Amino acid sequence: MFVALLAVAVGATILSGLVTIYYDIPRQMGQEFRSYGANFILTAANGAEGVSEDAFLSSTALIPSEKIVGIAPYRYETVKINEQPFMAAGVDLEGARKASPYWFVSGEWPDAAGSVLIGQEVADMIHLLPGSRFTMTGTGLDGESFSHDFNVSGIVQTGGAEEAFIFMSLNDFSGAIGERADYDVVECSISASEQELEAIGAVISENVADVTPRLVKRVTQSEGIVLTKLQALVFLVTAVVLALTMICVATTMMAVVTERRREIGLKKALGASDRGIVMEFLGEGLALGCLGGILGVFLGFGFAQLIGVNVFNRSISFQPLIVPFTLIASIVATGAACLIPVRSATDVDPAIVLRGE
Amino acid sequence: MDLLEIKGISKIYGSVKALQNIDLTVKQGEWLAIMGPSGSGKTTMMNIIGCMDKPTEGSVILDGTDISKENAKNLTAVRREKIGLIFQQFHLINYLTAVENVMVAQYYHSMPDEAEALRALERVGLLARAKHLPSQLSGGEQQRVCIARALINYPMLVLADEPTGNLDEANENIVLDIFKQLHKDGVTIVVVTHDPEVADEAERTVVLEHGRIARIVYNDAGDDTGKRADKDAGDDTGKRADADAALSDDRSIV
Amino acid sequence: MFFRLVKGALFRQKGKMLMVAFTIALGASLATAMLNVMLDVGDKVNRELKTYGANINVIPKEASLLGELYDVDDDSGLTEHYLNESELGSLKTIFWAFNIVDFTPYLNARINVNSRSGGETGVNLVGAWFDKHMDLPTGESLDTGMRNMKNWWDVEGSWISDDDADSAMVGGILAERMGLGVGDTISVSIAGRLQDLNVRGIFNSGSDEDERVYVPLALAQSLIGKQGSVSSIEVSALTTPDNELSRRAAQNPNSLSVKEWETWYCTAYVSAICYQIDEVLTGSVAKPIRQVAESEGAILEKTQLLMLLITVLSLIGSALGISNLVTAGVMERSREIGLLKALGADNAPVSFLVLAEILITGVIGGVAGYFAGLGFAQIIGHSVFGSAIAIKPMVIPIVAILVFIVTVAGSLPSIRLMLSLRPAEVLHGR
Repeated sequence: MFVALLAVAVGATILSGLVTIYYDIPRQMGQEFRSYGANFILTAANGAEGVSEDAFLSSTALIPSEKIVGIAPYRYETVKINEQPFMAAGVDLEGARKASPYWFVSGEWPDAAGSVLIGQEVADMIHLLPGSRFTMTGTGLDGESFSHDFNVSGIVQTGGAEEAFIFMSLNDFSGAIGERADYDVVECSISASEQELEAIGAVISENVADVTPRLVKRVTQSEGIVLTKLQALVFLVTAVVLALTMICVATTMMAVVTERRREIGLKKALGASDRGIVMEFLGEGLALGCLGGILGVFLGFGFAQLIGVNVFNRSISFQPLIVPFTLIASIVATGAACLIPVRSATDVDPAIVLRGE
Repeated sequence: MDLLEIKGISKIYGSVKALQNIDLTVKQGEWLAIMGPSGSGKTTMMNIIGCMDKPTEGSVILDGTDISKENAKNLTAVRREKIGLIFQQFHLINYLTAVENVMVAQYYHSMPDEAEALRALERVGLLARAKHLPSQLSGGEQQRVCIARALINYPMLVLADEPTGNLDEANENIVLDIFKQLHKDGVTIVVVTHDPEVADEAERTVVLEHGRIARIVYNDAGDDTGKRADKDAGDDTGKRADADAALSDDRSIV
Repeated sequence: MFFRLVKGALFRQKGKMLMVAFTIALGASLATAMLNVMLDVGDKVNRELKTYGANINVIPKEASLLGELYDVDDDSGLTEHYLNESELGSLKTIFWAFNIVDFTPYLNARINVNSRSGGETGVNLVGAWFDKHMDLPTGESLDTGMRNMKNWWDVEGSWISDDDADSAMVGGILAERMGLGVGDTISVSIAGRLQDLNVRGIFNSGSDEDERVYVPLALAQSLIGKQGSVSSIEVSALTTPDNELSRRAAQNPNSLSVKEWETWYCTAYVSAICYQIDEVLTGSVAKPIRQVAESEGAILEKTQLLMLLITVLSLIGSALGISNLVTAGVMERSREIGLLKALGADNAPVSFLVLAEILITGVIGGVAGYFAGLGFAQIIGHSVFGSAIAIKPMVIPIVAILVFIVTVAGSLPSIRLMLSLRPAEVLHGR
């Protein structure tokens, strides 16, 4: 009986572990997919100059805070270094770092006023290294020309357009170029599926004027495709494992019944009805399934947690629904697995068994 | 000449004395029956003679070798070379045909020889059923296959445990006739039984009671009133009761 | 006789043996399927991740990315540099040619569009391949272009083809601004030359591509008079996640020792592929697009780790199932083993007999399971990834060893237990 219990418990463990992973994949992998950077951007609505501070705050307030990975509002202005034109971007650097984790920075992220990140392109053109100083000139927003010195704290490599930008904090941007009350674009990295993002976008465009929320299709759609496939994969594996476990339990139960043929024969000789014997075995089987299921729920969660921590470095959320699901599945599986051997048990001829063959 | 010499053996299971201080000799060619009620130690006796168990005390000398001191591997060799076993429950391998069941014994002894195995079956009158599986044979037929298997390697000693216990009267007679033929051929036979009719066929009957030899009966040519050697049976009755309880016949438990 | 014993055991109690073989087959099929899927999942997910677009951008050595900026003057004093279209085929001749899934050349130009209201709007025009068929010198042929690489584009109307002489696709934002619909004609001018373009499709990509006009590469080349030139190439390649070696190599390949260099060159790191692209295209610089390259690495690693753990779990599950049954199978035969011993068989031949039977069952079950597992793997491949799973021969020895170890490990302890019982105990039930 211990062997059968082991089989049921292992099956239930695998089942509940896989189902937990199945449900948690979007959440777990979603975090990984956030390394693709922004999947949702806010731009000015038609006619408006930019996204105003108010609109920015009220829009971001509409995004569920637990889903936000990073939000980076950008302001762009053209500036000159050595009389060559470049694009300066004022950004919440902390937000940019979170929203665009793929930026490869040689040197350091700026942490003091007057420190900036420059793109590889810019660094190559004017021969700057981390630690160099340069002078930025241009026409400020107030129409006056300005000239400011900055410290290069790091050089950004992305392989994309960012390599031609100069990134500075919003304070430095205001200090050098002038105060602006709006942003050109707000990049958001949100841990959510395409549908959820569309819903968030709809809420924002309904409630906040002058803002156009847009999905970065390339990121959201591909994420959806890959996650769906991974889920389908785990689902299929779960189904196969479930089938295998059922068969294992059935064969184990068959062995158990065969071992107990004598006992069955004896009971029949003592006057037990077929029905009584079936009920007895079925009862044992169901109790076994129940016990194994309970064991499996705990072990399975532990196992899923192990995968979560080892693979994704974050813990698995506990799905209460899995408890009844695993229990019912293991009881039903064990019950079904018992049926065949129990039927054969009732065929036992008491005379033969008792004669000792 | 003595084939088997048992000197002062005892077998103790925990606090239960299954056999106590038994002496017995079996001559070459003799037909001996061991009789006794359930729990008298018959089966223990048979296991010890059959090299399937060892006495706690005393020695068992079979064909000049003291088998009570041998290790399991050597006991296996003795069983293989010198003993033929016949079981109450036949113990045939159910996926082998009658002739193959006989050949198994040849195989572990030396070389399987199908022609010889068939001759052995012929001797017990089963040549026609040689290719049948045990499930297709009647109880008597199965027992005859078992006998053929026990004889195939020409053992010095044939040891039969309740050979007729599972058989009806007609089959019982067939089996007893085979035994008589064997005896005539000079094979040494030890039969363990609780059936007096089977025991009466033997030359000598040893009756066990409570792990001791209660008496020995000589059945010379239908003479039921042969010499009796009553040995003292019993010193402490309390222990005997224990032994009875623990050794109440195994077949009723299983 | 040994053979007859084994044959009898196997064929005269088919039911029992089939049950064991069936369980072994199930376990082996699960192991086969999972191992095959696991070994191929990297490749499969990598291909799925290609929907994120190119992970390598090739540009002329002297060119600057400034052209991609929002509003920087076009004539900022940069001289124009181009790559040679005729060299593109050699991308498929590099060491890792097989890993290059798709590539598309682009030619950028600034044009004016005359809107219906009469005014002129400055727009970025891009010439590109859409569904180009190439016959390579190696004898292979290849279909590549934007249709493959930008499969997330939401296209209203239809894609244009490379032979169209006057067709264009217009970005959604631009189309909205200019009030264009599918089927409209726009008239564009560049350097005084005029051309009418038929708007065949309007696309939505969710990026700044939505403000551009796309035309076939040949048309763009003739418009600006730069026959045979391309300004950049986007390459989509299957890559191995970066490690410490590849990062060092990316900084400076010359800093590696000969051996390290060889390892790096012969591994599909994105930096190695970039290096090899530089070698075959004159005057080019290939740069990894970090957003895609880095994320791919992270996701691939996680997926493979996840699959590995799930595979190990299913292997443990099937191993337990099999050894359970094998143990039960041996235990059931206690009487038979006791009898053989009573008949005078030594321990070694008896263990040998039982092991041989179980191993033969194992081989039958394992072979059946292996092929069933291949079927499973293909079902998974087709239903999940829409393509066949590559069959890895290395799975065969793994499954074989696994089945062997599991059956032997499942039977040995019980055989030992059986042998330790005295025949008398088994035969008399004592």
